[in-house]
Amino acid sequence: MITININGKEIKLEKSVTVLEAAKAAGIKIPTLCWHEQLGQYGGCRLCLVEIEKIPKLQTACTLMVTEGMVIRTETEQTAEARRGMLEFLLINHPLDCPICDKAGECELQDLVEKYGAISGRFREKKRKIPESFADPLIVRNMERCVMCTRCVRMCEGVQGASAIGVIDRGGHSHIEPFSGGRYDCEYCGNCISVCPVGAIMSRMHKHSYRPWQVTGKTETICPYCGVGCTLVLQVRDNTIKRVIPRIGSPVNNGLLCSRGRFGYEFVGSKERLTTPLIRKNGVLEEATWEEAISLVANKLSDIKAKSGSDAIAGIASPRCTNEDNYVFQKFMRTTIGTNNIDSTARMGFAGAQAFMENIFGQGATANIISGLANSDTVLVVGGDPTTANPIFGLQVRACSRKGGNILTVGQMKGLEYFNPVKADPFLYTEEVLLEGIVTALIGKKGLPGANLTLEAKIKDINTSLDDVEKKCGVPAKELARFVDILAASATPALLIGKEIVQSSGASYKLLLLSAINYLANGRIYLLSERSNEQGLLDMGCAPDLLPGYRPVASAEFRKRYETLWDTKLNEKTGLTIFEMMDAASRGSLKALYVMGENPAFNLPNSSAAATALRNLEFLVVQDIFLTETAKLADVVLPALSWAEKDGTFTNMERRIQRVRKAVNRGGMEDWRIISDISKNMGVKLNYADTEKVFHEIAAVSPLHRNLTYEDIEDGHAIYPYKGEPLRDVMEEILTSKGKAARSTGKLYLRIERPLFHSGTLSTKAPALVKIYSRAVARISAETAASLSLDEGDIVRITTKAGAIELPVSIDKAADSSTVMLTNNFEGQGAYSLMEYTIDPVTKTPVLEGVEAKIVKMTGT
Amino acid sequence: MEKVLLKNMENPNSADINEYKKIGGYKNIPKAFEFQPKEIIEEVKLSGLRGRGGAGFPVAMKWTFASAYPNFPKYLLCNADEGEPGTFKDRPILEKNPHLLIEGMVISGYAIGAEYGYIYLRGEYPHAKDVLNKAIAQAYDNGLLGDNIFNKGVRFHLTVHQGAGAYICGEETALIESLEGDKGQPRIKPPFPVNVGAFSKPTVVNNVETLSNVPYIIEVGSEAYSKIGSQECPGPKLYCVSGHVEKPGVYELPMGTVLRDIIYMHCGGIKGGKRLKAVIPGGATTPILPAEKIDCPMDFVNMPKHGSMLGSGAIIVMDESVCLVKVCYRILKFLEHESCGKCTPCREGTGWLRSILGRIENGEGAEGDIDLLLSVSGNMAGKTFCPLGDGAASVTQNFIKHFRNEFEEHIKRAKCVMRNE
Repeated sequence: MITININGKEIKLEKSVTVLEAAKAAGIKIPTLCWHEQLGQYGGCRLCLVEIEKIPKLQTACTLMVTEGMVIRTETEQTAEARRGMLEFLLINHPLDCPICDKAGECELQDLVEKYGAISGRFREKKRKIPESFADPLIVRNMERCVMCTRCVRMCEGVQGASAIGVIDRGGHSHIEPFSGGRYDCEYCGNCISVCPVGAIMSRMHKHSYRPWQVTGKTETICPYCGVGCTLVLQVRDNTIKRVIPRIGSPVNNGLLCSRGRFGYEFVGSKERLTTPLIRKNGVLEEATWEEAISLVANKLSDIKAKSGSDAIAGIASPRCTNEDNYVFQKFMRTTIGTNNIDSTARMGFAGAQAFMENIFGQGATANIISGLANSDTVLVVGGDPTTANPIFGLQVRACSRKGGNILTVGQMKGLEYFNPVKADPFLYTEEVLLEGIVTALIGKKGLPGANLTLEAKIKDINTSLDDVEKKCGVPAKELARFVDILAASATPALLIGKEIVQSSGASYKLLLLSAINYLANGRIYLLSERSNEQGLLDMGCAPDLLPGYRPVASAEFRKRYETLWDTKLNEKTGLTIFEMMDAASRGSLKALYVMGENPAFNLPNSSAAATALRNLEFLVVQDIFLTETAKLADVVLPALSWAEKDGTFTNMERRIQRVRKAVNRGGMEDWRIISDISKNMGVKLNYADTEKVFHEIAAVSPLHRNLTYEDIEDGHAIYPYKGEPLRDVMEEILTSKGKAARSTGKLYLRIERPLFHSGTLSTKAPALVKIYSRAVARISAETAASLSLDEGDIVRITTKAGAIELPVSIDKAADSSTVMLTNNFEGQGAYSLMEYTIDPVTKTPVLEGVEAKIVKMTGT
Repeated sequence: MEKVLLKNMENPNSADINEYKKIGGYKNIPKAFEFQPKEIIEEVKLSGLRGRGGAGFPVAMKWTFASAYPNFPKYLLCNADEGEPGTFKDRPILEKNPHLLIEGMVISGYAIGAEYGYIYLRGEYPHAKDVLNKAIAQAYDNGLLGDNIFNKGVRFHLTVHQGAGAYICGEETALIESLEGDKGQPRIKPPFPVNVGAFSKPTVVNNVETLSNVPYIIEVGSEAYSKIGSQECPGPKLYCVSGHVEKPGVYELPMGTVLRDIIYMHCGGIKGGKRLKAVIPGGATTPILPAEKIDCPMDFVNMPKHGSMLGSGAIIVMDESVCLVKVCYRILKFLEHESCGKCTPCREGTGWLRSILGRIENGEGAEGDIDLLLSVSGNMAGKTFCPLGDGAASVTQNFIKHFRNEFEEHIKRAKCVMRNE
């Protein structure tokens, strides 16, 4: 115990901390500029100078550790004079352009000057002149305002791990500059903007458009992009989102954001937003009133139900919609329509992988806390780069490396390249052999623990030596041995599983191998999730075989429970998956489809076939915020509200339920309200006064969400299993199906690239993100480029069995020479349009491997 | 007095290992290896050796801290980044007596348990770099560096690292940053380098001259050594004298030689028989002394009593023709240029002071400028991150303290009073 005295107040401390921390704990504020709670001490600004008894010179509170009996005075004539002196130094070369500086009003320098005040100007020399830099489309640098606290540099290097900016020159010439020159070549997280205390580094998106004090609303909500569920603060003026900022202390992202979260909000105010319902008349979508549209949908669905039965109708739910929207939607499908034909794009990988893992490890096996990842001693990453799929989660992996943890990667993980990964990069489509090799070696090293005999029965005979792996995968046995040694020696390993491995042939067998690795290494699983409420919609029962709270439709007992609660008779037949819906639509057995906030004509593989299937439907309803590829095919289009315009909840990939809050007013209805109106028109009441009432029902119906209220969720600490009960069912037989390695040498295979700056098609409606990643490209290796005499930017035609598109090429030296990488974000240029697929019999996920592609250079370009 | 540091200087091949061996070089390494490392530190402690870089910190104390700190490996860094205006005292050792330094480093490394040494050499000493590298290669060839020195199982490897021209890298933590490949800026202390230094390991940073004293201490023993020069801080000292003296150069004299004697006895007095005006006794940032205050023994203990500091022992002598406003301006210009920019008062203050001084020198000074200089330097003094900014404040304050008249005349007559115009 250390006793110190600050400003006459006696303070007892458990351990020695800095004077600044001690003062903070005692509620005494010491001014700082370079110190930042996310970045720690630097000692540069010299504003935190304090008086310490028995030390003649003033000391910086941020660097000095307290010792027993220390007597500290933080506000004396001497400290005030010193701070006044420092502020004067900071101001002599500062432009004092507060009237036109966007930071004015929330500028830390301004606030400090107001408090300690320079009396009058004594600086008669010429001020340093550095023109403001507009070289970057999103970030504007004004180095005359810079106070050289280096928070941005420390953020970029020490937290974000991008190391894109630095202090250039020295002394009075010091300034912050991206190493790439004027334009940033970085991850555009904008966290440098967050930590800048002055107006030196700012977002161009809201430049000169408002003053901080003119913000009329500050709404804390959850990011609409990926499954990490970062807290965003939306600042609104004139019913328009002006800025998105993070909040320090928020549960998942704690003051950090990624490019999508920070810069991707402008789609809300897009002119392309749907404003009125549209009805197809004589083949053309025409504007209609809500009454017309809703009664048309109700009548049409009633007719089809009467004529062809409930199971001729299906619904596709949305991982971008709230839990409440999805709950009401599945209830509508199950009660009003009377079918279990409800599914979503979670079927693309997340749902199947989770179900597979939960069968082995129990429900909630993937509900592991994101912020805990950095403390793991080893992180094994397979099937997707977390730094692009789930950027803020990716920072946890980087932090783990920085703390001395081991990063193991299977396949190329560009975002982890500089974080000392131990890599196992197998030949294309040979992951299965590699994983077998790891399992064999782990069993050899650690033995079978005997805890899960069903799992052990499936894996005990796996026998792939490291030499076999070397032969088949090209990963040197010695390197893989090191990889396995690290894993085996690890006490708190974490296993990160991305979509790509779930979308490969033999996905279930690979998931078995990953489960085995997790089991043998005693790890915990994280499933990367690319949509904000992918987890939530599954929780809500938007799956053909599961009722809310993961109670199986197949169980009569559970059906009965829900029948009582919903006052209905449930269909006992398991419904169609999203892919089965497409098949049924092509065959003609599915007559009507209700799509809420999803775009199957673009987001499903072989999307042109999906579009053909959708065209074959008798009736297609699409409820969305944009006229998507799917909406263009619809008979009725219903305009929905975006995430910023409604209340509700999202459940993130770690299964934390968080509140989505309305920030902007827009006429129209929430998704659930539209559905409830249609239901009413069909004679079934699904009435709720507001969104919270929907949640009340969820809490009453789903055993997982039992008695949960918005109040419980308020602070973001509603974590799985909430107050409810997971289903501790008996483990079912583990079914697997092995893959067929589909690679032959000399051929090019099409693979999906998941860029950091885009997510689905939503981000392409956000101009800022388009500015930094503006078009689809075909990424090929230097080898491929050389063999086809292609230069950067040349237009090529990429042809597969499913179709062809023309794109400029981008040459990536590190790329695998057997692949061509395409994104699935830009209209008319999606990779999925070129991908035929089969379905894995166990996980029901699409197999997207082995898609052969041919590249031909287009002449005359 | 027998030359210790500048021994054999007249020999044009003094940098060659064989010439060095001829005068008894390298015989102190096997002698040192007969002692336990702790005993060597004790011997150095008894010798009273203090760091010759400027701060005068007791060498044995630094060594004890690093040697006692439990982490390995440990590093021994030689600070050869001599870059302050007027300072060139280490240069003769680096260029003409490199084996003395190597011998000193092997013994010192053995004493603190360091197996790796680096000589952080000033970027503008290209010749010294060649000499050192050649000497190190010879030492390796002769088994005086490597994994098994003198077959005694002692390991010491030595590398020359050339700086890129920043004065601040002479500050030991900035030196370490620079050595590690980062921008040369001082680090927060604590932790001190002796605990967490180069590559986060215990590190001793000693000056060239300091390390070059070590073989002699082993040779003659602490008792004999401590009898040289001042009682409180004994040993030979290199004084480099520049400016208006008849015989400028590097002089090896007993510590505590009186400044007046150095100038008038050893350096032959003021050039051309002119009158002495002022002396900067220990490198550009040490407080200036007016002509009448030079009867001070040049050592770490006595100089502060006489209103200045020994610093590096770089004596700048200025005769009656010198404009001290301009000198002050020139020093501030240097410090502004060399300020690393990390802390506010130094980054902004040095430039401001230089600017005001420039105005005064150019006859554009205003009434109140002297008070402004004192106020600005007061706002810097004691508040900067490292001694560089402090030095800038101190230079300004001391020039004004002793020569306020000259500043006032500049302002009053709106021109440089020392120029014949």
